[in-house]
Amino acid sequence: MTASYLRICDTSFDPEAEHKAFREAVGGAGAIVAFTGLVRGEGKGLTLTLSHYPGFTESQISEIARQAQARWPLVGWRILHRVGAMTAEEPIVFVATASRHRRDAFEAADFLMDFLKSEAAFWKSEKVDGNERWIEPRAQDITDKNRWS
Amino acid sequence: MIEILFFGRLGDASDTLRIDKPKDVSDTDALTAWLSKQNRTLEAELNKAGNRIAVNKTIISENTPLNDGDEIAYMSPLSGG
Repeated sequence: MTASYLRICDTSFDPEAEHKAFREAVGGAGAIVAFTGLVRGEGKGLTLTLSHYPGFTESQISEIARQAQARWPLVGWRILHRVGAMTAEEPIVFVATASRHRRDAFEAADFLMDFLKSEAAFWKSEKVDGNERWIEPRAQDITDKNRWS
Repeated sequence: MIEILFFGRLGDASDTLRIDKPKDVSDTDALTAWLSKQNRTLEAELNKAGNRIAVNKTIISENTPLNDGDEIAYMSPLSGG
């Protein structure tokens, strides 16, 4: 089974099952770094809705993954990203990288997340108590991304 | 026929449009001007900074000729994942 792929999911996914499947697909790797991003749970009754541009978003993220592969010797990578409506504590993103030694996997996962948070073609709106607002990247997300240039 | 997609705040201002290319619209600048005339809410969003335009899923940085069958996407600033 191919270890490296991107999947945009319109329903919930199971990060633990993904981690296990990824580990089985990257035989020979000495290190796996897996990151799961969750919808923050502080806002009760919060709904987060993500939309994307089918075809465009996938090719943009695949290009970022190609850059990660060119930069670090990865045995494999996997990115899952939710779209649609989510509530607090649901997984929103899963990024896993595998390499022979730990540093490459750590750095590549960090790089992928920084680009996903600041550059990926998603549009996010948050609804709390009936009030909806669009969300844009925080200044910190841009600073984080610029560490890699 | 051209297809025009709107994302983010721009998507609140207009649904997807599948229209015959208006006669006097030959490039993206002209299309943006034409759209602004059709819909006041959309005009306000199109005038905001940070929007991006893609033609056939490629981001453009300057005025671009349009042909029948093109897909044009108007994107509000990205939120990231």
